[in-house]
Amino acid sequence: MNVSGTRKFSSDPQSVWDVLNDPTELATFLPGVDTFEIQDERNWTATVKIPLGLGGLKLKFRFEKIEERPNERAALKANGKGVGAVISVETSFDLAPDGDGTSMDWAADVQVLGQIGGMGQRVLQPIVNQQVEQVLAALDERVQARAAG
Amino acid sequence: MNSTATDKVTLERGKYQGKSIPRKEDRRLLEGQGSFVDDVRRHAMGYVHFVRSPYAHARIVSIDVGPALELDDVYGTLTGDEVAIATDPFFQIASPPGANVKDYALAVGKVRYAGESVVAVVAATRELARDAADLVEVDYDPLPVLVDARKALDSETTVLHDDAGGNLSWEGVYEWGNLDEAFAEADHVVKIDELHFDRFNSTPLECDGALVEYHRGTEQWTIHTNNQFPGFAAIMMGPALRVGIDKLRYVTQDIGGGFGNKITTHPQLVALCLLSRKLKRPVQWTEWRTDFHQSMSHGNERWFHGVEVAVKADGTLLGFRCKALDDAGAFLRYEPLGGVIWAQVTPGLYRWKHVRVEFTQVMTNKAPVSPNRGYSRMQHLWLTERIIDIVASQLEIDPIEMRKLNYIKTDEMPYTTPNGCVYDSGDYERCLDIALDLVGADTIDARREEAAARGKLLGLGIGSTLDSGTNNFAQARLLNPELQFSGNNEVAMVKLDIFGEVVVTLGTTPQGQGHETTASQVVADTIGCTPDMVTVRPGHDSYWNSHAGFSGTYASQFAVTGLSAVKGAAEDLADQMRRLAAAVLGTTPDGIVLAEGMATRADDPEAALPFMALGAIINANNAGLPPETEDITLNARYVYRPPFDIPDMETKYGNLTLTYATQIHACVVEVDPETGEVEIVDYAAVDDCGTRINPQIVEGQVHGATAHAIGAALWETFKYDEDGQLMTANFYDYHVPHALDMPPIKTGSIESPSPFTPLGTKGMGEGGGGGIHCVGSAIQSALAGAGGALVTDSHNPSERVWSMLRDPQASRSLVHVDPAS
Repeated sequence: MNVSGTRKFSSDPQSVWDVLNDPTELATFLPGVDTFEIQDERNWTATVKIPLGLGGLKLKFRFEKIEERPNERAALKANGKGVGAVISVETSFDLAPDGDGTSMDWAADVQVLGQIGGMGQRVLQPIVNQQVEQVLAALDERVQARAAG
Repeated sequence: MNSTATDKVTLERGKYQGKSIPRKEDRRLLEGQGSFVDDVRRHAMGYVHFVRSPYAHARIVSIDVGPALELDDVYGTLTGDEVAIATDPFFQIASPPGANVKDYALAVGKVRYAGESVVAVVAATRELARDAADLVEVDYDPLPVLVDARKALDSETTVLHDDAGGNLSWEGVYEWGNLDEAFAEADHVVKIDELHFDRFNSTPLECDGALVEYHRGTEQWTIHTNNQFPGFAAIMMGPALRVGIDKLRYVTQDIGGGFGNKITTHPQLVALCLLSRKLKRPVQWTEWRTDFHQSMSHGNERWFHGVEVAVKADGTLLGFRCKALDDAGAFLRYEPLGGVIWAQVTPGLYRWKHVRVEFTQVMTNKAPVSPNRGYSRMQHLWLTERIIDIVASQLEIDPIEMRKLNYIKTDEMPYTTPNGCVYDSGDYERCLDIALDLVGADTIDARREEAAARGKLLGLGIGSTLDSGTNNFAQARLLNPELQFSGNNEVAMVKLDIFGEVVVTLGTTPQGQGHETTASQVVADTIGCTPDMVTVRPGHDSYWNSHAGFSGTYASQFAVTGLSAVKGAAEDLADQMRRLAAAVLGTTPDGIVLAEGMATRADDPEAALPFMALGAIINANNAGLPPETEDITLNARYVYRPPFDIPDMETKYGNLTLTYATQIHACVVEVDPETGEVEIVDYAAVDDCGTRINPQIVEGQVHGATAHAIGAALWETFKYDEDGQLMTANFYDYHVPHALDMPPIKTGSIESPSPFTPLGTKGMGEGGGGGIHCVGSAIQSALAGAGGALVTDSHNPSERVWSMLRDPQASRSLVHVDPAS
């Protein structure tokens, strides 16, 4: 499933980038994160509980930063494994100055495999939409907080 | 429910055959006293759970079972690497390239469909095994996925089995008659670019399962299983496990439905055999519903391309040709037999003399297919019925009249088809008339107007099908001349015990068909007692029930093979009883009458022996018997072998099945033009399966087959996404019709006894998908006045019907008439 969109932030690209590029802070507003561990500057692991309509789905995620151009672009790959499900996500963020603020084009390719994947297909799209919206709202909040010092 | 009167039967039946006596099995089943595979328990047994692949196609990089084994009460695991060392790949029915496929009990090196078993975990409870399975770490390297069979042979398409050199499993050309002559004679050639028969299965209430014990002293396995064809399982499992088949004992009592879906469980059974030997404890496996849907026994999905039909201006059908493309899924567990089974019904019910089918079967990243109620014939019969309705619509001929014009006639029976099959008996036109009468076809115009006034589109549809039964297994040689299979057989034993009990054991594995009841009816009539006096041992035990190479319950054959074996054994026993009574009562065997549980001198009713006395004499009081009784054991075994020859390999000509039961279904549907929702408002199924031993059991099977077919026509589909993920792996998404979904079913019947079988019976119960045909036909009829879309798919849920209403040209553009009528 491919989802994409554009989000405007009132802060400059540097502020947005700082939040996006800080995995510790990122973990605080990614949905359902129980534990988060930084392996190195490009690799992180997390245990995540995803609401899938039929109950929470616990997954172990490995995140890998696959592309990085400071203040301009970041791309991540995440692979999650859980009971009866494998989720893989490839996502990218492209930042550009927009007046005093920043415009962020984002895109994600979400793949859900396994038995739960089949069961969750009917509810997956609205859940992804909801989660994305929450993440972006939280990101906006953090960027503003960081800009406010 | 309505029912029509049954014809007088031309073959003599007995006192109990032909009667709907209550089923012997029902008391225990209704009281919850049935014994199903999941009821079998053993001391210290372990429960098995299979780790399944989430990927449809991937290389297995590594497997770590360590975390699972660290849990308390986890007894052990089995991986594909172990399987590859301990077993040989399963025997393949196909000739090359399919013959080169390597299929094991667990995935070895690679997974080829989502849901494939990768690791087996055994633990003290079923739940623990499942939890432990979640701890097994499998790293996969995903590969491109092939879902659409139509792309399987493209050069750039991913290949499932490198050993096979591509995705082709089998291909062959069937041609009979003279196609050039047929098309030269035709007034019109109707061309249909593409038809699609959808993927679904029959969803038995009980999923697969087994309990397997290994006996170290005898190196023998006892396999309590609900496999419905142990003879086939043994042929697959013995060589794989590198043992003789007598090391494999199959035991079953009650089975909760099979429908062919339970024929191909040999991979799981081999995994259980290995585990029980490795762990030195019995192991038990009961399949979860989602696992069943995801990994077992889908019906064959099939496309028909380039269909060309030669037809006269009056609607007389001369011949047809097409290319059939069959999707076998990831492994060839019973395939490519579907590549020839369809030929049992090559012309359907019609007098086509010239037929050419170029058959191609390919493998895709979907669950393997296996026989499914109406196996392979259903797809082909659907083609013939679609041809009738589409040709009739294009030439503006009444589809009822077109059927009647082209049906094989009763006075042509036995009828030899273009490929040498012999239709034994039947009266298709009469069955159709009964069906049409039951749904009130003569009032259809008025009902259409009345429905239109309510904003609904009303249509009448017909499905004419055959249920070919009792296979000649020599047809497998048309796929692979090296195979040493031919004919068919079944075994029964009937004995008279010391206290006068008549005991029957069968080679079959009943799954709800009432074998205990019908066998007792045949025995009672043959030896002269009541069915209550006959005990038919439930189920099957391959160590104690005599059986033959093709023993089992599948492919519409019990009423022929099973009951003929029972009849033969009972006649042998009756002969022995007459000879014994004659020796005791001082007369000749011809002078003894067996009736009412007594052997009586015909000329002296006072001189009589109860069956108990006969049993006691031979079994416990046999000193001083005269020499002519030396060979009397009161223990009769009979092997029924239907009369078959081997078809000609070159021309693919010969008789492939012994009997042909007829099903004519008719229905009336109403379509909501706003939503595409289809409601069946009238339905009739007329069945002619020759002599009926127990009409109520026949009627029950007619109802079941109808429900399966209606489900497939409207709701049931195995739908995959582009990643090879099954979207309908559970009952939430895969809707099996409930009682409330079913329309009231009117049934009718006639009896055209088979001249080829000892009892006049024919195999039945599969129904040939009658409901699929007639529902699709009725939808096309309903849409005729609303754009005239043509039905080109076997599965027509409301969304497809809605699309057909919105864009009728999409389906109409697939059909051309040359020259235009």
